Formats: sequence, C-alpha cells, structure tokens
Amino acid sequence: MQINILAIESSCDDTSAAVIQDGEVLSNCVANQEAHRLYGGVVPEVASRAHQANIIPVVDLALKKAGIRKEELHAIGFTKGPGLIGSLMVGVSFAKGMALSLDIPLIEVHHMKAHVLAHFAEAPHPSFPFLCLTVSGGHTQIVRINNYLDMEILGQTIDDAAGEAFDKTGKILGLEYPAGPIIDQLAQQGEAKFSFSEPKIPGLDFSFSGLKTGILYFLKKQVKEQPNFLEEEMPNICASVQDRIVSILMNKLKLAVKQTGIQTVAIAGGVSANSGLRKALQQTGEELGWQTFIPKFEYCTDNAAMIGVTAYYKYLEEQFSDQGVAPVARWNI
Amino acid sequence: MEWIITGIDELEDSARKLLKKAGDHRIMAFSGEIGAGKTSLIQRICQQLGVEEKVTSPTFALANVYATANGDEVYHLDLYRLKDAQEALDMGIEEYLYGDRYCFIEWPAVIEDLLPADTLYIRIELIENSHRKIVLL
Repeated sequence: MQINILAIESSCDDTSAAVIQDGEVLSNCVANQEAHRLYGGVVPEVASRAHQANIIPVVDLALKKAGIRKEELHAIGFTKGPGLIGSLMVGVSFAKGMALSLDIPLIEVHHMKAHVLAHFAEAPHPSFPFLCLTVSGGHTQIVRINNYLDMEILGQTIDDAAGEAFDKTGKILGLEYPAGPIIDQLAQQGEAKFSFSEPKIPGLDFSFSGLKTGILYFLKKQVKEQPNFLEEEMPNICASVQDRIVSILMNKLKLAVKQTGIQTVAIAGGVSANSGLRKALQQTGEELGWQTFIPKFEYCTDNAAMIGVTAYYKYLEEQFSDQGVAPVARWNI
Repeated sequence: MEWIITGIDELEDSARKLLKKAGDHRIMAFSGEIGAGKTSLIQRICQQLGVEEKVTSPTFALANVYATANGDEVYHLDLYRLKDAQEALDMGIEEYLYGDRYCFIEWPAVIEDLLPADTLYIRIELIENSHRKIVLL
C-alpha cells in the first residue's frame, strides 16, 4: 500500500507544505507568489500573521502539484518545534484541524532532526551511522545519526550560528542582508590574505562571536590607516572571512570523525549552499577517505519535504501524536 | 550610571550589577554596535538567573526561550532582522513584553514605541583596547 503524507513547516519565516509518498517527495512548496496567485493575494513577510495568510494556499498548491486528493492522505506531519511559538502555532493548529477532519494520524516532527533526514529525500542516502554538520542562520551543530529516529548532538555553537557570522560580517562590511551569498560570490574573486584567529573552544562546540568582534577590530584599524581599505580589499576580506568560517567548521568536523571513527559525513542547512564549505567538504573527504553527502539546495533551507520524510519514518514506527499536542519553542534533540 | 570593563571576564560582574539594579524590572533593552557584546552580556545575566542550557544568539529565530533552574521562563529577543514595529507585532511581540518574565531584547530600536514604561535601557559602547563602556540609562 502506498503511504501519502502531507507535511507542514512553519517554524520561522517561510510557510511550506509538501506531499511525500513512501518516503519520496511528490511536491515541496514554499509560500510565494505562485501559491498566492491562485488566491489573488500578496505574500506578507514575517512570522505568524504571514503564516496564517500563507497556509491554505501553500497546502492547496502542494496537494495539486502532487496530484493527491486530501482523501488519499494517510497522515499529516508538522513541525512541533523548536521555533518561534506564534509561527509554529499556525502550522500545528492547521495540522490538527485537518487530521481531525480527515480522521487520520498526526505526526509531530523535530525541526532540527528533519534537517538531517532531508538527506533521505533523494538518493543516494547515507548509511548509518553517519555524522551531519547542520549549519544555518540559526544553528550550527554536529549530530551523530544512529538510525532514522535515533540521533544525538555531539557539539553545537555556544553563541552565534555560522550563518549569522556571515550575515553580521556582511553588515560590518556594508553588504545587504542576508549577506552569506554575497560574501560567497565576492570571496571567489579574492584571495584569503588576511588571517583571523581561530577560537579555542574545547570539544566539538563552536563559537563565532569572537570572530565577529575580531573582524570588526581588524577593519577599524585598517580603515584608520588606509581610508579606502574596504573598497580596495573587499573580495580579499570576503575570501579571508569565508576561509576562516569554513576552516572552523571543517576542523571540528575532522575532530568529530577522529573521535567517533565514523567516516560517513553529511552537511545540511542553509549554509551548506556556501561554495567554500561544499568544496572543503569534498576535498577533505577525498583526502581522508570520507564518504560525503551534500543535499540539493531546496532541501538545505527550511522546507516541508524534510518534515514529510521524517514523518514517514515515524509513521512506519507508528509514532503518532494525539490531538492534545502543542508547539514548543525549545526542544532538545 | 555607567562603568568601564577591560575584558570579557568582567562581564559576569556587570551582569550581577545590572540584575541588582533591575530589581522588579523585567524588560531590558540592549543597544550597541555589532560585536559590542550584547549577546555575551545577556549570556552572563541568564547564567545568574540559573539558566543552564546554552544561551545563543536569537538573530535568526527572533526569540529564544530558556528555562531557569526553578522552571521559570526567560525570553531573549533579537529584532535585528525586523524592519518596523508592525513586523514585531506580527511575530507576537506583546506576548514577550507583557508577560511577567525577564525579557532581554537586542536591537530594540524598531519597537521603541511598544516598550513598557519601566523598561531598562542598557547601552554597550566599544572603546579603545577592547574596553567597553556599559551605560544604564
């Protein structure tokens, strides 16, 4: 029998819906102009009221694109947390209402675990156990995955996330938000000739706050001596910053491989779109004999497909939630 | 009042001082440029309040919620990404501002008009040689 699952993700900025059939992605939609065109509206920008306006159009679009009628669904998966409570509330309430009306099971999903399981949205799949570096604007974690539903955090940031280090550096440099992709682009035209120190953080934890301050001091000093330093050196500054952020990530990942002996290594989250990180993972993998996995970009950023894939594996284990379930802002893996 | 600290290890002392000054005030707004140490100072304040988990930057998430040892919640907001007060209202800012919980806010400028009258304003200024001036307005 084919299992069809509708998945809903609303933990932060984007409202997303997806339909998953036997673990395969049939549709994966983020609320955008396309979803709203059907309803003649425009896309609001941030948080809960925006999710409220987005949710029906995006679910409708996901079902249509998948060619699945709601009567053909077997379960509804949703992000229970962690995230912004008002935003989660919209997705959770909608999922509960729809599951109740269709009389099908509800499946709660952990947003960060789903980021890891996004690797199962498309072949090739990593084999267990594997390590995953999840890096985004809000998270930086190294996770050990023993099985679909069994994972543990080995290390994480103690202050800023890696994506935030890109964005805040961009702000210091006068670039637009989000600055990650712009820094990546400029870095490719420059050379990493400036050196920023690597934070000394024990174990597998990360810190990016000191790097941010270090960059700030460095630039202030340089601009004092050479007023047009920023204009003249922008690509080199970007290359140097990117080089350091990537090396901080890679050094911890190497340590994690050494400590666990696990040589299957994946990356996930929005920052895994960074060309420097992708290249570094690939090169290191080749040098050290790791098997590496980098997901397609649409599965890197927040998306409902990863929620649906996770919900599918929970469905197989019959891990269902009851109608009393409520969203949670904080939730450990 | 204001004071100067010469290194990050003095933040803990500043956190203690601020909490003592705060008394019954629950809302604190922190301003200062990138890298000034807003998140670092809030980390120390949360530790003083008995938060055991990691206190990290909420820039992306907009709001972090932590639990203290006795189960109370502490809110840590960062409005860096918001464009105006309407966006703050859309994210449900009132929930955080008008609860009875401690609420620490980074980049509060966009919600100046929404902040309760008894909000404490703290400014961190970068001065020479990694020194910081902390100003309680």
